[in-house]
Amino acid sequence: MSRLVALPLLLPLVGAAVAVLTGRSRTVQRIVSLTVLTLTLGCSVLLLVEVDRSGTLVAHGGGWAAPMGIALVADRFAAVMLVVATAVLLAVAVFAIGEPGTERNHVAFQSVYLILAAGVSGAFLTGDLFNLFVSFELMLTASYVLITLGGRRAQVRSGMTYIVISLLASTVFVTALALLYAATGTLNMADLSLKLATVPVGLRQAFALLLLGVFGIKAAIFPLFFWLPDSYPIAPSPITAIFAGLLTKVGLYAIVRTQLLLFAPDMPTDVLLWVAGLTMVVGVLGAIAQDDLKRILSFTIVSQIGFMIMGLSFGTVAGIAALVYSMVHHVVVTTALFCAGGLVEYAGGSSQLKRIGAMLRTAPLVALLFLLPALSIAGIPPFSGFISKLSLVIAGFDANRALIVAVALGVSLLTLYAMMRIWVGAFWSPQEEPTPAASAERSGRFGAPALMIAPTVALVAATLVIAAAAGGIFSFSERTAGDLVHPRTYIDKVLDQ
Amino acid sequence: MTIALDACAAILFGLGTYLVLQRKLSRIIIGLGLLTHGANVLLIASGRRGYPPIVGSVGGTMSDPLPQALVLTAIVISFAVTMFLLALAYRSWQLTDDDEVADDVADRMISRDTSPGEDVADQEESMPEPVEVEVEEL
Amino acid sequence: MIGILLLHLVAGTGLLVTGERPGRRAFAVGAAVSIVTLVWGLVMVPSVRSGHIPTAAVEWVPGLDLNFDFALDAMSLTMVLIVGAVGTLVFVYAGRYYDPGSHGLPWHSGLLVLFAGSMVGLVTADNVYALYVSWEGTTITSYFLIGHNHEQARARAAALQALLTAAAGGFAMLGGLVLLARAAGTPSLHAIVSSSLPENTSTAVALALILLGAFAKSAQYPFHSWLPGAMEAPTPVSAFLHSATMVTAGVYLIARFAPLYPYAPFWRPTVVIVGLTSMVFGGLRALRQVDLKLLLAHGTVSQLGFMIVLFGVGTPEATRAGWMLLVAHAAFKAALFMVVGIVDHTTGTRRIGEIPRFDTSWRGVKITTALALASMAGVPLIAGFAAKETAFGAFARSGFDGHIAVLVGVVTASALTVTYAFRFWFGLFGTSRSRETTTRRAPAAPGFRFVTPPALLAVAGVVLGLGAKSLDSLAGVAGIELGLGRSALHLAPWHGFDLPLLLSMSTLAAGLGMAAGRRRIQPILARGAVVPTGDQAYLAALRALAWVARRVTGVVQNGSLPVYAGVILATVFTAPGIALLTRAEWPGWPRFGSPGEVALLALLCTAATGAAVVRRRFGAAVLLSIVGYGMAGLFLLSGAPDLALTQATIETLSTVVFVLVLRRLPKRFEHEFSPRRRILRVLVSALVAGFVFVFALVAQGALTLPPISNEMVDRAVPDGHGHNVVNVILVDFRGLDTLGEITVLAAAAVGAAALARAGRRRPPRPDDPAVAAAAEIDRQRRIVFVDGTVHVIFPAIVMMSLWLLFAGHNQPGGGFVGGLLAGSAIGLRYVAGGASAVRDQSRFRAWTVLGVGVGLAALTATLPLAFGGSVLEVASTVLHPPLVGEISVSSALVFDLGVYLTVVGTVMMAFEAFGDDAPETLP
Repeated sequence: MSRLVALPLLLPLVGAAVAVLTGRSRTVQRIVSLTVLTLTLGCSVLLLVEVDRSGTLVAHGGGWAAPMGIALVADRFAAVMLVVATAVLLAVAVFAIGEPGTERNHVAFQSVYLILAAGVSGAFLTGDLFNLFVSFELMLTASYVLITLGGRRAQVRSGMTYIVISLLASTVFVTALALLYAATGTLNMADLSLKLATVPVGLRQAFALLLLGVFGIKAAIFPLFFWLPDSYPIAPSPITAIFAGLLTKVGLYAIVRTQLLLFAPDMPTDVLLWVAGLTMVVGVLGAIAQDDLKRILSFTIVSQIGFMIMGLSFGTVAGIAALVYSMVHHVVVTTALFCAGGLVEYAGGSSQLKRIGAMLRTAPLVALLFLLPALSIAGIPPFSGFISKLSLVIAGFDANRALIVAVALGVSLLTLYAMMRIWVGAFWSPQEEPTPAASAERSGRFGAPALMIAPTVALVAATLVIAAAAGGIFSFSERTAGDLVHPRTYIDKVLDQ
Repeated sequence: MTIALDACAAILFGLGTYLVLQRKLSRIIIGLGLLTHGANVLLIASGRRGYPPIVGSVGGTMSDPLPQALVLTAIVISFAVTMFLLALAYRSWQLTDDDEVADDVADRMISRDTSPGEDVADQEESMPEPVEVEVEEL
Repeated sequence: MIGILLLHLVAGTGLLVTGERPGRRAFAVGAAVSIVTLVWGLVMVPSVRSGHIPTAAVEWVPGLDLNFDFALDAMSLTMVLIVGAVGTLVFVYAGRYYDPGSHGLPWHSGLLVLFAGSMVGLVTADNVYALYVSWEGTTITSYFLIGHNHEQARARAAALQALLTAAAGGFAMLGGLVLLARAAGTPSLHAIVSSSLPENTSTAVALALILLGAFAKSAQYPFHSWLPGAMEAPTPVSAFLHSATMVTAGVYLIARFAPLYPYAPFWRPTVVIVGLTSMVFGGLRALRQVDLKLLLAHGTVSQLGFMIVLFGVGTPEATRAGWMLLVAHAAFKAALFMVVGIVDHTTGTRRIGEIPRFDTSWRGVKITTALALASMAGVPLIAGFAAKETAFGAFARSGFDGHIAVLVGVVTASALTVTYAFRFWFGLFGTSRSRETTTRRAPAAPGFRFVTPPALLAVAGVVLGLGAKSLDSLAGVAGIELGLGRSALHLAPWHGFDLPLLLSMSTLAAGLGMAAGRRRIQPILARGAVVPTGDQAYLAALRALAWVARRVTGVVQNGSLPVYAGVILATVFTAPGIALLTRAEWPGWPRFGSPGEVALLALLCTAATGAAVVRRRFGAAVLLSIVGYGMAGLFLLSGAPDLALTQATIETLSTVVFVLVLRRLPKRFEHEFSPRRRILRVLVSALVAGFVFVFALVAQGALTLPPISNEMVDRAVPDGHGHNVVNVILVDFRGLDTLGEITVLAAAAVGAAALARAGRRRPPRPDDPAVAAAAEIDRQRRIVFVDGTVHVIFPAIVMMSLWLLFAGHNQPGGGFVGGLLAGSAIGLRYVAGGASAVRDQSRFRAWTVLGVGVGLAALTATLPLAFGGSVLEVASTVLHPPLVGEISVSSALVFDLGVYLTVVGTVMMAFEAFGDDAPETLP
């Protein structure tokens, strides 16, 4: 069974190679890409079931026992994130094929997209800190290519911001690795969590903060998130969707993993609390200040990251469980939201709220597809966002953090306000000057190509399922939280003691 | 691990940072290059140093091979990314005859104007609430 | 119960997704659903009356106690019956109200059904979280219902105001509910109310938050102003939401939690003050309205205030009175809204003074209005009267201190109610002087279907009033007082001559008096206009929010990369640095370093400084490459020959690429930034450098354990089959890193090529003059001597690179170095012949090489899995080909070959990208 662990990483790589070799034939590339992603999804689901039933699975790279070799570890957390991520990747791949422009005009797209998938899988699975760095680089390099795909002026500009900031993060990451190896002589995370105990506490805390900073840049926490709202909205909508939905969460995953596995005893709780609060507030204020659909959404996800950091900062099982559920919910709902935003942009011909309008009439289906995830992310029942919010609130009160809970509730209100601004601007208010691309003619029956609609529908449906099946998912999250808060089993599995 | 090495790394970091905080992409790229070198110096410094790690070549303390492998990986990756950044600079030149990293337009606009959004406008439109005049009956 | 809710859900969603086709027929569906609700409610009456409480439960999220538990006690049943009855009539009415052609009716009807469903859920929920879910359900649906005519800005604004007010209250309430549930240890409403909670601030805070939610929902001062605004909604919506059901949700909530008032000393004063304020001011505002619908809205605020006082004080008598008022109000207020709707719909106006004369065909409407108003004003024998009598009685008895004051307030407000009842009547049917001048006559009264619903409701008022006794027995048996004890007072159509009767008579008289003397009163009332309205406060808040948002965002999100980078670097290094300086202990200085090393490092740093300050792009590039070679030297010193080789070759390559790009860009960096900025830059840089230095020393001083690499050294030869440990690590121990790394290389190469080529729309055709020109340049660039040497050197270097590849496992070398060397050979070729030459002479296309390289590596990683091995497991066999003797072939070699090819492919890509010989056509 442990053979399964490596596949989500390897399949996309092989697929990427094949896609490169098939050169110009777009159809073949598409088939390859979709098949690979579907297979990967299958593996991930199997993995999840297996792991949840019979515990953590470990694959030793080259057959070398950790800590000498690189261990790929599939525990509950990794497995569930893997499933969600792959599902989202698949959906967006279809969306990209449906969306005219992005994928069609670029031979490289599918192969690079698969490399991105490989990077994401690697980041979730790896049990080795340097290998985590490599996986991040895989993911990021692919993302550099994707975000500048087409090379429009605005893209190049925002691409520069995005890439330079990411490179800074990577450099700091290497620095952190160098220092960690210098202090402990190991790179395997399980081994590290044991050997860090021998390191003086001050140094340990310094490491905790350093890694928090490194991954915080990717996870877009205050004050490290400013690059995100400038770069994401510029990219083509499928790419924005996958970035917003997935990449920030990979960073968050790394934060959770490292903080809980390596630094659990002296996790910088207060810092995390402040970070959480500021990220929430500043993010949502940014969302209110914007007048562009994609920018509003980008700021909103930043503020949502704050909620999850809050869950982490409690450090309790309840808090982590809330965090895990929120991550599952948030990956899907964000991607759905951005896909819907892409549909709005397509059907309305612009993402500027001032320039679009009255789309409840012209594209009612798009309206519905936007509305559901929007309400969900604002934490309105009975959608998944509400369950995430409720679990966080309860966990907060349990941890006696009433203040941050109050802030969170206030931010929820503002989030609702931001979402309704989009709703009013795009769907209710009459359209002032019809944009040239305004699309009675191009947006056929559904308001957009079927291949764009279908994956969006699937994603929205998925968010509803996450809400409906919340009982099971949440109890799973609680089991996961148990593993994360008590990493002993993880460590023993990896170092097979 | 010697003071000299750490100092050198620190200096590289400082200079790199100084260059990165500028607007010309080619300068930023050079800065990033220096930062990477700094990180690599730290990596090398993080392990034992001695004779080449080739088993059975020469006696004496063998240098720690693992950091070397890591540095090798790091070097190649940074080479790849630098290449891509150069392509970006090149593209930027194609478009603007320069490699300047301009400010984000939308941000600039927001930091300037402070007009409230559309919905507030709605609100104002619907204000003041209907007049309540006194009328005669009977 | 579950069935009813599912019915609403299914029917509602169904209507939402059906297109325009059903039109007004959609309301028939709604009516059917509501009838089912009503019938079900009636069926439940006997069992509930016998004190039995039917329950139902569906698990949702047990981990959070978030389950759909329902319980149907008398209070809930009352609300259910109201929802069912009013709902049915509203749907019938709506079927006639909307114009057949108007847009989005099914969507509208679906929302109404969903609202009704949420309402039923709200009043039957026993689990507080389920209650909250339904609560927000009503909020959201009401938002879309109010915004039905969303073409008008006012409708949009009103909807938003209602939403934000209710949601704000809702989130507060959620906090309160969670706190209560945790304190009581159970999410069950009934259990919480009956359990003994800890008497601490958290309980008090919880109750305060719940009060907030209730006040916001029931449009109490100071949160009332959304309700008048919500009159933008179509009349059926107002009749349903804003009179009978949604606005009473807050009242319902307060009724539920009233038994807990002892835990919060502020509870009674708050509800009394807020309620009375709403009663009085609502009444006064109602008297100033010209728009009859707005008059009713303010009247509703006032009546809700009354109910809040009655339920809030938490005495059994008051509660029973409140219950009666709740029922009565639902009947008469809905009826009045419908009347206004009819008038508006037929005459096109609802403003006092513009309404034309009505002929005799309107008799039905007149009677309806009269009955409804009578109930509102509390004319004897009608429902409203019974309620008011009991209320006065309840406050007259000494239930709690200060009850007399409350009594006075209530009586005064009731007088106002009477007055605006008259104002409504005269406004509608009165014949004023201004009216005589208007010759306009109203069209004939609308048909039966339109008038029946309000008529029924008005009659219901009479029936309820006369049947007050039986209602009372029902209430008594079912224990409507929710654990407050039994009421000593009883509902009755006629209590005989007592204080309450006196009081209600006096209210009627006073009201009549004020109505008669309104000429003198109106100017005084008009002065009330100077009092700032809640709308203005709300708008101010909204403006302030927008302002703050823009300010904050403008500051933090200033769009400048240098600023972002500066903030990030400073933060990322300062935070741990502080932890280090405050908590870590100093390990002491290590040795300084050998002279040679120091010299080299000094050179390195000098070159770096040069690269940082020099103003010519070329100069900077060259200095950077010097730093690079310096690094190679350092690696050599540190006993890392592989690194030295790799670094040197890579430096060469990247310098070439750098130059290829830089030749395009302006020669120098011009001065850009102000001295202040420069100081900041230097500051941040110094900060970073300092922290790195300290951090490095402390970290390196902390090592106590043997590094994991020792084991690698030991096992390299026996298990890794190689003497060069670094190479064994790369291709075997940590092969996964290498796999990822070459993929990074490939991705970057592909991306760079795509980007650099993005400018060219079409591939250059040979007959393109530009291409000819490029060829010309090539010829000039091709110097015979260089050309020749390259021709000689090229194969040599390639052979060399291959040797490095194969030898790598035991001597310095390996796939990377080999590939890079081959790459630089290609670089030479480019220098000699231009990219075209490279493309001609290399048999394979860069893409292919790249693909094969990554493919090989990935496959060598994957295949072992197929044979039961683990990922990247190395298999090696010894071949005995003739003549050669024996060669040991291991899959590690194949893997390394993949690396080699990838690197070569990347380099080829790089020259494809930058070493262009076709013209750029700018998009």
